[in-house]
Amino acid sequence: MIYNTGIIFSWISFGLLIFLFFKNKHIYTEILVRLNLFIQIFLFCLLEIGLFLNDFSVSYIANYSAKSTPPLYKFASLWGSLDGSILLWNLCLSLFMYIYLKLYKDNSSDIDIKIFSLIMIFFVGYTVFSSSPFAGCIELAVVGCSNSTILPFQELVISNIGRGPNPLLQNHPLMAIHPPMLYVGYVGMTMPFVAATSRLYSKSDDTNAWVEVAEKTTYIPWLFLTIGITLGAAWSYEVLGWGGYWAWDPVENVSFIPWLLATAFLHSAKIQKSQNTLLNWNYILVGLMFLSTIFGTFVTRSGVLISVHAFSNGNIGTYLLFGMLFFGFIFIFIGSKNIEYFSKSKKIENWFGKSGFFVYNNIFLFSSALVIFIGTIFPLIYETLYNRQITIGRSYYDILVGPLLLILLGLMIFSVKLPIKNINIEKWIEENNILVNSSLILSIFILFYLNNSYILIFTVIISVLLIVITFSNFYKNYRNKKTNTSYWTGQIAHLGIGIFALGIIFNVSQSYSTEKEINSFEEFNFNNQTFFVYDSIEESLPEKNIIKLPISNGSNTKFTSLNIFKNSSQQAISSPAVFRTFLNDIYITVKFIDESSYKLIVRNNYGIFIMWIGLFISSISFLPRLRKYEK
Amino acid sequence: MKNKYLTIFLLVLLMILPSIFPDNESRYEEWSKSLLCPVCQGETIYDSPSEYADDMGAVLLEQINNGMTDDEIYSFWVSRYGERIITNPINQNLEILIIPLVLISIFILLFVRKLYAKK
Repeated sequence: MIYNTGIIFSWISFGLLIFLFFKNKHIYTEILVRLNLFIQIFLFCLLEIGLFLNDFSVSYIANYSAKSTPPLYKFASLWGSLDGSILLWNLCLSLFMYIYLKLYKDNSSDIDIKIFSLIMIFFVGYTVFSSSPFAGCIELAVVGCSNSTILPFQELVISNIGRGPNPLLQNHPLMAIHPPMLYVGYVGMTMPFVAATSRLYSKSDDTNAWVEVAEKTTYIPWLFLTIGITLGAAWSYEVLGWGGYWAWDPVENVSFIPWLLATAFLHSAKIQKSQNTLLNWNYILVGLMFLSTIFGTFVTRSGVLISVHAFSNGNIGTYLLFGMLFFGFIFIFIGSKNIEYFSKSKKIENWFGKSGFFVYNNIFLFSSALVIFIGTIFPLIYETLYNRQITIGRSYYDILVGPLLLILLGLMIFSVKLPIKNINIEKWIEENNILVNSSLILSIFILFYLNNSYILIFTVIISVLLIVITFSNFYKNYRNKKTNTSYWTGQIAHLGIGIFALGIIFNVSQSYSTEKEINSFEEFNFNNQTFFVYDSIEESLPEKNIIKLPISNGSNTKFTSLNIFKNSSQQAISSPAVFRTFLNDIYITVKFIDESSYKLIVRNNYGIFIMWIGLFISSISFLPRLRKYEK
Repeated sequence: MKNKYLTIFLLVLLMILPSIFPDNESRYEEWSKSLLCPVCQGETIYDSPSEYADDMGAVLLEQINNGMTDDEIYSFWVSRYGERIITNPINQNLEILIIPLVLISIFILLFVRKLYAKK
């Protein structure tokens, strides 16, 4: 039932989009876009219903859900693997198409909706021709389904117990929110792409209109991308007993690349609007933002790279690669039609004034994206060219991206007040001397307690200076109604990043760990504190067994646990016990040797709470923007 | 507080701090952050809580306590697991560092030249 309806409605959606793309008249556009949105919502609900009814005749449900899966994770199973996540992708895409139509449509032609529907044809086409989340199961595996059909009205077999989602995905509610946030961010990048290509294709008279719309439409996906990445980091640290938050894993990298490009664009669009420069560069950025999201999906889903996040599925890799080339071609074609317009882009005259600083911002953000991109595909290149398998780990990024991000941090200090003409650094120091000196004194106090290296010192000085100057600027000028809202959005984001940088450098430079072998009812010392270990407790839920070990530091008792999922052959997942103070976390995970003896990994992680505060402040940087809509 | 010389003094003081409080990461930590745990989907043995990573760590610790040189440790692990065990391949393959640096420089050069207004 769900299988047939799902496949037929996917076809209807596909046909409707084809019609939307080829139709000549202006009429019916809104009705068709709305209809398309309804069909996608319907398909989404249909698969959710299937998940909740345990309809195991649908191959996807049999493979990624189980009868014992708790409701929240059943709901989240929809995006737990490739085919379902493309369905969510399509839903977001049709939603954005509708939003675009309502708010940003260029009224002189239908070309923007046509480009939008072309992009959507590409993604809906995948579920129609290649691999559908509604595909029916025609061959059973030991658990779940091993072969499926995308044709409707076939004879199906029904597996009686589902395989259940990946244990990593059903370990914590955060996991239900983190992927959709990223999807909204990824898919939203389609809007600026459509805005730029369509408006330049039809060449409306207001030549900078495209960049205004592109900027407005970038902000929302950018925000979701920020929140999505933050949640991912929080989840991996707070929930997985891994102790880290960012591993420069390929999949993390490909979410960071569009973020860096979008951040660059949000800055350079301002310069284009006020000074009519960087026209061609902004166009390139918008194109790369969109293509990098497809590239990201390609890397995640094609199985070309090894990663915690990767799940591969047959031919999606080639399909996405084709899509990237195809949309890249459209992008270059429309760009080349506008060479004359781009050549009107003004040169930069004040390299130490506002426009100069925005150019540096773009140079370093783009370079970071470039370095991360190269680091991500290096192993692929080595394997194809030299048949050598190499791993690009943390040190590559520390050496190359670290300094770039540090320079960016330094640039933010000047963003508080940038003159159009060149800045006079001597005068600047004189004007801000009290703040500079107090920042340096503060830095010395902080550094007094730490192991020191030069990179640490520079980071501390720069981030403290950034925090102090931004903060005092808030104190002095926030009431001033003349400054616009996007300025304060930027300042809040910068303040958050300054605090975040301080946290990260503490964490990287000061954290250490040790291992303790211990029995029940014994105590151990760590970081001048005494911890007492109780006896382990076993708990059995329908979908998993949990072994918990209570640990007390005298005032608090926390649990570290091991989750063993019944439907999965994969390794057990451990959760940490975290004793948090403002400066450091004592972070304990356990390995069970036998019933009453354990091996504890005890970490002293500095700066985590400070990092979360910084990221939180950056995430709420949209608040001043809301003021605009109150009027 | 408002004094240029104070600023300079404070900066100098900050720059000599590392010699007063040196940073010493142990060799074991450095190496365990560089070795990939082959069964753990992209985690180093420092990060991974698995048994396998533990065993590798024990071997590594013994090597360091026996005073093996970095080159010896490197060839030991590479001969057993292949190059991909090293997550920090830069020392042996400098091109991994040079290629991105060259590309960034080309990008910056082109970018600035394109925007530079001739007087």
